[in-house]
Amino acid sequence: MADQGLEGSQPVDLTKHPSGIVPTLQNIVSTVNLDCKLDLKAIALQARNAEYNPKRFAAVIMRIREPKTTALIFASGKMVCTGAKSEQQSKLAARKYARIIQKLGFPAKFKDFKIQNIVGSCDVKFPIRLEGLAYAHGAFSSYEPELFPGLIYRMKQPKIVLLIFVSGKIVITGAKVRDETYTAFENIYPVLTEFRKNQQ
Amino acid sequence: MENSRSCKSCQKHTIGSDDTTGNPVCLSCGTLQDYDNYDAQIGGISGPTGTQVRTGTAGSGTVYNYNETKIYNAQKEIEDLMYQLGFSSLKSSEVKDMVVKVTDGEYGQGRWFTVLIGACACIVMRIDGKPLAIVTVANIVCCDIYELGRMIYRVVDFLDLKLPEFDIVDSFEHYIRNAPSFSEVSEDLIGRMLKQGVFLVQCLVKWYVTTGRRPLPVVAAVLVFVAKLNQVDVVIEDVANELQVAVVTCRLRYKELLERLVKVARGLPWGEDVTVKNIMKHATFVIQYMELKSMSKNRNKNKNFEDVGFDLDYLIDDCLSNGNDYALDADDTVNDSQYFMMDHSKRLSIEGPNRFQISQECLAMIYSKMKDEMHVHESTHSRDNSIRKRKRGYGMLSYTDWWKGESEMSKKLLVKQIVEKDVGLSVMPPSFDSGCLSYERRKEKIKAAKYRIHKTMYPSDASSIDTIDVGSLEHVNAGKRRKRKMKFDVDWEDFIIETLLLHQVEEVEIEKGYYKTLMDLHVFNY
Repeated sequence: MADQGLEGSQPVDLTKHPSGIVPTLQNIVSTVNLDCKLDLKAIALQARNAEYNPKRFAAVIMRIREPKTTALIFASGKMVCTGAKSEQQSKLAARKYARIIQKLGFPAKFKDFKIQNIVGSCDVKFPIRLEGLAYAHGAFSSYEPELFPGLIYRMKQPKIVLLIFVSGKIVITGAKVRDETYTAFENIYPVLTEFRKNQQ
Repeated sequence: MENSRSCKSCQKHTIGSDDTTGNPVCLSCGTLQDYDNYDAQIGGISGPTGTQVRTGTAGSGTVYNYNETKIYNAQKEIEDLMYQLGFSSLKSSEVKDMVVKVTDGEYGQGRWFTVLIGACACIVMRIDGKPLAIVTVANIVCCDIYELGRMIYRVVDFLDLKLPEFDIVDSFEHYIRNAPSFSEVSEDLIGRMLKQGVFLVQCLVKWYVTTGRRPLPVVAAVLVFVAKLNQVDVVIEDVANELQVAVVTCRLRYKELLERLVKVARGLPWGEDVTVKNIMKHATFVIQYMELKSMSKNRNKNKNFEDVGFDLDYLIDDCLSNGNDYALDADDTVNDSQYFMMDHSKRLSIEGPNRFQISQECLAMIYSKMKDEMHVHESTHSRDNSIRKRKRGYGMLSYTDWWKGESEMSKKLLVKQIVEKDVGLSVMPPSFDSGCLSYERRKEKIKAAKYRIHKTMYPSDASSIDTIDVGSLEHVNAGKRRKRKMKFDVDWEDFIIETLLLHQVEEVEIEKGYYKTLMDLHVFNY
């Protein structure tokens, strides 16, 4: 039955995610060293998916569609890849960019690939009294509704920044590995439940 | 000593320089030669080095001294800004001390320094519990609030301070006393409006209208509302300009306030008649109801609004049996509170007024009876002449009658205390409500997409599907402007959902609405 396939769902691993919520990774930022000097103007002229405006930004901005990512390629041979939704996708995208550079005639290598930042988000599905959280966790929190609607929570261990919104939506950023994102969320979840507003 | 130059007297090449004067002399005959010791100063990095002398800057105590000029100008700038912000000399010196501490006594010059002064001003006032909005300072400093905010964060970090939260109640008090729109209102009325405003502001805090939102538009909305409530002629645009906030946001907050009051009014017997348009006519009753609720002993704090219940039976009996006893005046307020007492709810176990099957005629009769009696009461009551400006009367009672101001909510409370108070309504934050609606909408869309897929895959079986409520699917896209005649209005979102479903993506994941991520992970993942 086709519907069986459509309705199939895998249960969340509660040992890893006791809250029952798994943050969705929204963006992965990685860097890699192509280990050769690059002529950015030549790249911009030869590649049709590249843009280069040295007055505005000193790097070629290149995009590919699969995986849908954007890369910043610098004359030093360093490259930043953004927009991937998983670590594997980010690495694959970076390899594709390196291959493009190679095809343009540069002796590009693929050195020191590193995930620099992982951004995740999730919804706890209950409203959060931000004023109370800011008061109780003043050492870690910054809540200035005049400047930003969310509460900025700087967690020490793991060293992660969380943006907490009154609607119950959470953004987790600053992780180098996926598990840091998950750990940070599992750490904050019990805190959030203390400041939840009960639904009727 | 041989020299390329010859003596003008003896023609010998024995020119040397005099030890004392440095002038060229012939060492043979002693004749003083013509002046010729010019040394061309060739500039550039390879040229000879020299001593740069700048007139007027050497030494100390001159007006041209860079450091002192900088400090002088910086101090002058601090004083100017403090004057514009209306700081007292004590506060000004505190700001100056903070600037000195941050810059290590060096002060500074340039745009960043002005922003730093603004940031220090904000911090000093916030720590002192005085209401000074960042937007006000940003307008004086001529920078945007984010630039000023970043500087505030930096100073707070550098000095390791704990910045208290912006107090919206203090801010309201400040503006009702100082805003030009209220300058002509009598002190007596200001005091009353202040209490009402504080009450409403704290209600809005409880109702999440202030959480995660800029506080000043909320303050402006409440200012306008209490002004209208007390028949003070005030325009929302003027108040918004005086508070230096966007008029649109103020209107939005004002509308949100009215909507919440309408929801509170649902608890009244005639609550169904109350709408956003006529809420001002009923505002006195609604606020009185809220005040009474907040003063009532909440015996079961976890009980929600519906659990409170009204003794409508008693109310109707009382209303129909006693002639003029129902007139609502100051003395009757205590009696009125019995309608809202928890004890009476035992007489009827109801969960909400809507569960009662009271006829419209009965409700209308109660309502019109009350209205008539209020009118009689109003006409006989002498008006207070202290109100200088009065618009057409919204209220059915003179303000002195219905407002007691005895609730604790009229005084400044902590957020924890506000949350615990019952004011007749407990709602979710607007962003949470819209999030829930989006979830529901996506659920419906998923349901519709599944139906369409099934219909395509099994055309013969399509008519036998009863499990999917087709009727409910038709309104999924009803909110869209473009209305088509098709039975199922399919948009880009529906196509994405269909694609995701066909790629075996879990429904719970689709419900979250992260379409781009899901497409990248499941559809374009090669």
